[in-house]
Amino acid sequence: MVRDGPSRRAGPRFQTALVTTFGSKMLSVNGAVSTTIIVAGLVLAGYALLMTAFNRRMSVPLLAALGVLEILLCIEVGIVVAKLADGGRPPGGLATLIGYLIAIPIVPVFAGFWGLVERTRWGSAVVAVAGLVAAILMVRLHEIWPAIHV
Amino acid sequence: MSKPTAAPEPAAAHESPAAQPESTRTGPGRLLVAVYALFALSATARAAVQIGTKFGHAPVAYLLSAFAGVVYIIATVTLTNGSPRARRIAVVSCSVELAGVLAVGTWSMADRAMFPDATVWSGYGSGYGFVPLVLPVFGLLWLRYWSKRAKSPRTIGTSAEDAGQTAGGVGHGEDIETAQRTRDTAADGKTQRT
Repeated sequence: MVRDGPSRRAGPRFQTALVTTFGSKMLSVNGAVSTTIIVAGLVLAGYALLMTAFNRRMSVPLLAALGVLEILLCIEVGIVVAKLADGGRPPGGLATLIGYLIAIPIVPVFAGFWGLVERTRWGSAVVAVAGLVAAILMVRLHEIWPAIHV
Repeated sequence: MSKPTAAPEPAAAHESPAAQPESTRTGPGRLLVAVYALFALSATARAAVQIGTKFGHAPVAYLLSAFAGVVYIIATVTLTNGSPRARRIAVVSCSVELAGVLAVGTWSMADRAMFPDATVWSGYGSGYGFVPLVLPVFGLLWLRYWSKRAKSPRTIGTSAEDAGQTAGGVGHGEDIETAQRTRDTAADGKTQRT
């Protein structure tokens, strides 16, 4: 699902992105952060789903993982803001990008709160959604601005 | 996004994981509200950006996105609230949502020229992993569970809630508490306030 998204609307701008990301041996730093977020988000989602299946409520490890995800997302937002400050402009629209920059750091915070107030397995399920959403947001970010490597 | 500040107290009081959910926003409802809030935010924000920056490009698609956003917001708020009246509104908004995703999905397949840009609902929500198609179904199932529970007399949680509402309760959380006190009093013939 995640990987299908960009390939369906493969336009000229996406092809350039393919060349710069997957073809290049020098994976840039911001690409590493995005990739880490995608992997971490999916791992967190899997772990949280496992906790849901085992009927476990939200725990300290899940909360800690959300904290790590939050830090990674804040680094990613910082990288994008630095690119904007450098004068770069996203082809997918500046307003959309700013919307993403505001929404991204909120996701783990809201999931942590909403998962903690629920004292059943469904709190863990909320965390699973947050991990999945973080991964999807990275792919979308790359669609808006292919300069942000995944 | 909805701010559920009043939510934690009743849930924290009884911690048994096996206990029945006390409201449409607890238990599986917690997940449902989270996903609805996510879609409310993304559909509304997306429509706002599109209408604000390039409305002429695909007016029908953007207006439909805005409409979807409003429906998601109403569903999020009413599912979070969970009173009998809010549940009725939630049923309507989930039904509209299901009808919308089916109608717009079919329409976007039949008349591609009308949709140069995607909406949340085009292609039956394929751009969003078909979650827009599945979400209203789960929403309606969850609401059906609640309307059944409200009708059956042995499930005290909801009947107490309804009783609390007729007694003129203020907030949803307080409703349950007041109603449970009323029920205890009625059942035992003496006050059981702790």
